[in-house]
Amino acid sequence: MLVPDLFLAMMKEEWRIHSTVFWGFWFALFPVMIVVFAFFGSLTLPFFSDAVPYTVAALLAQIFFLLAGAMVGSFGLMGREFMNRRFGQASLIAYVSRSLPISERRIFATFLMKDTIYYILLYVLPFTVGFAAATPFISIDPGYIILAFASLALAFLIGLSAVCFLSTLYAHSVRLLAATLVVLALALFHAGTVVFPPYSFFLDPGLEPLALSLLFILIPAAISVLFVTVDYPDQVKRFKNSLDSLAERLSPLGSEHFIAKDALDLLRSEGGAGKVVFSFLLPVGLIWLCLQILIQFVPGIDPLMIFAVLLGVISSTIYNWLTEFDSFSSYAFLPVEVSGMIDAKLKSYGILSLLPVAVLVFAAAATGGAAAPFIPALAVLISVSAYTLAVTVYLTGLHPNVMLYHAGVFARYVLATSPVLLLIIFASIFDPLYALGSLLLVPAAAFLLSRSRRGWQTWEISGY
Amino acid sequence: MHQMIEAETLTKQYGTVTAVDGISLSIVRGELFGLLGPNGSGKTTMIRMLTGQVRPTSGSARVMGLDVVEDPIRVRELVGIIPEQETPPSFLTAEEYLHFVARIRGLDRIDARCDHWFDLLEFQDKRDVLCKDLSRGTRQKLMFAQAFLHEPCLVLIDEPLINLDPIMQRKVKDFLRGYTSKGGTVFLSTHILDIAEEICDRIGIIHNGRLLHAGRVDDLTGSGRHLEPFFLDLVRGDVGA
Ligand SMILES: Nc1ncnc2c1ncn2[C@@H]1O[C@H](COP(=O)(O)OP(=O)(O)OP(=O)(O)O)[C@@H](O)[C@H]1O
Ligand SMILES: [Mg+2]
Repeated sequence: MLVPDLFLAMMKEEWRIHSTVFWGFWFALFPVMIVVFAFFGSLTLPFFSDAVPYTVAALLAQIFFLLAGAMVGSFGLMGREFMNRRFGQASLIAYVSRSLPISERRIFATFLMKDTIYYILLYVLPFTVGFAAATPFISIDPGYIILAFASLALAFLIGLSAVCFLSTLYAHSVRLLAATLVVLALALFHAGTVVFPPYSFFLDPGLEPLALSLLFILIPAAISVLFVTVDYPDQVKRFKNSLDSLAERLSPLGSEHFIAKDALDLLRSEGGAGKVVFSFLLPVGLIWLCLQILIQFVPGIDPLMIFAVLLGVISSTIYNWLTEFDSFSSYAFLPVEVSGMIDAKLKSYGILSLLPVAVLVFAAAATGGAAAPFIPALAVLISVSAYTLAVTVYLTGLHPNVMLYHAGVFARYVLATSPVLLLIIFASIFDPLYALGSLLLVPAAAFLLSRSRRGWQTWEISGY
Repeated sequence: MHQMIEAETLTKQYGTVTAVDGISLSIVRGELFGLLGPNGSGKTTMIRMLTGQVRPTSGSARVMGLDVVEDPIRVRELVGIIPEQETPPSFLTAEEYLHFVARIRGLDRIDARCDHWFDLLEFQDKRDVLCKDLSRGTRQKLMFAQAFLHEPCLVLIDEPLINLDPIMQRKVKDFLRGYTSKGGTVFLSTHILDIAEEICDRIGIIHNGRLLHAGRVDDLTGSGRHLEPFFLDLVRGDVGA
């Protein structure tokens, strides 16, 4: 069924994409960093065991890997555009299938296989190694090491195959996707308590949760392979000029032509609205679901508040979409400054931020619509989103997609954001009103942004 | 005579590589100057320094009286630049891209200006096509139009004709000659010697970042020599040196 040579070629391709696009040597340190984080993270477990019991920590890890799987899946789907922008007409092997004497299904199956093995080696294995190294110090039975690896891998694969499944639906019809999402949401809502099979497997290893997990992986994956459609960008697309009318409408904001261009990039790039679904609404929806599960275990927390924190972090990745199709080298010969570009991107970001705000309103309404927790949650969303965005811009300028994979940059990103986020979460557990203190992040964000405008100004773009 | 470009021992080092090594030259209004050199000799780096896109390691340059390090944005406002790699943003159409550039430059009569270039370079039929779907030659036409949209009196062009067909090459060559005869100034880089010999007033030959020769094309051809053997002798001689 699978094609060994093709599989190897794809593995090599994936590694080269990462190591050439993402700073060679530094990329190789990425797994090492995961080991280090997992090690120290595990060491701190006993200190928090009152607030966060081991079982909850395990659940959090499961959720994290579920989301990582979903993210890897969506990157695979958007990979072609990303590559085209960076390397001209270069294409991933998976997209040139027409030039190979192999069926699309087999190529896609191989592609999934490659993602599975590559990312388990890159994410799950290092995480487990870090955890394993910490077990002697925190008196956890080493038997859990194997169990952790297996269940996290299962969680990751469920995320990956779910996204592939949904994207295959999307490729066939948007309505089909919408209907499926509604049915799934209703089913989950109806089921009340949901048990995540890999988590059950971790708590109580047995045949039943394992089989259930595998079904959750294999069935969606099989459907997406069987019904895969690869659409070739064959016909030349033509569009009437909409830049001017858009720019006219945006002119009160200034830099209107840049904002208009960002809008057209987003609307016309492959996926279009699908991108919003797969890299924003889907992870956000998953997080919301997971939080609903989590509050059954940790009674003290306010799900809306934690949701607002996470939503703020995810919102800041909107900046990655905005910079994805742009490289400063396409402006370097025009009278444009990096700071001007950053300003324009921030304005586009401000407009798109209405989306997470709408999501929060929706979530608040779903939890009963009490205004009291909503105001602090909104403050948290706005400040976290502004602050994580400012850190991203400060550390990566106009190139977040590339630079965040630089291990050193990523470490600084985590150090700059995670303590602050944890503080907000803990403060809000004491009293939701404390979360209003997060508004202090807004001036911090403004300071970082003004520093980045100047800092990136002098950066010479070597034109990758 | 009016100096359009003056470079004074301009040098750029990338780590241990000296891409441009102490080049001084000056170009006056109305000149069509060609910078010739083999691959990797420093032509692109030179153009990028002269337009404030790359900071010189040492030396200085003034373009239209402005210091390129002090005033890079002002320099790029005044001049037109066609970069080596034509990379218009992929999800705008050709027409939208030209309008986008015109808006960046704050121009008036945008439609008329764009129409003029669609007609002149004969790609009216491609104006609604996304830049990413344009052929390389059409993309190069677009970059040409982009550089001349604000009617600059100095243009710097990195490899101008590489992707154009012979008919278009003729057209562009004639256009450039006409442009300089009306007082425009062109600084172009190329390693296609025939083009340089045919249209340039003056050439500079660059190798390993050093300027080996600068002089009028007439002086060469007048003394019965051709550019190609001259160039090859010079560059090969330099390797031995
Ligand atoms: N951003 C950069 N970083 C490191 N080295 C560079 C960079 N840009 C250019 N170089 C080096 O500087 C030298 C000159 O390069 P440049 O691009 O200026 O040459 P060129 O004459 O334009 O060549 P070609 O005819 O191939 O376009 C080369 O050795 C190149 O490798
Ligand atoms: Mg060059």
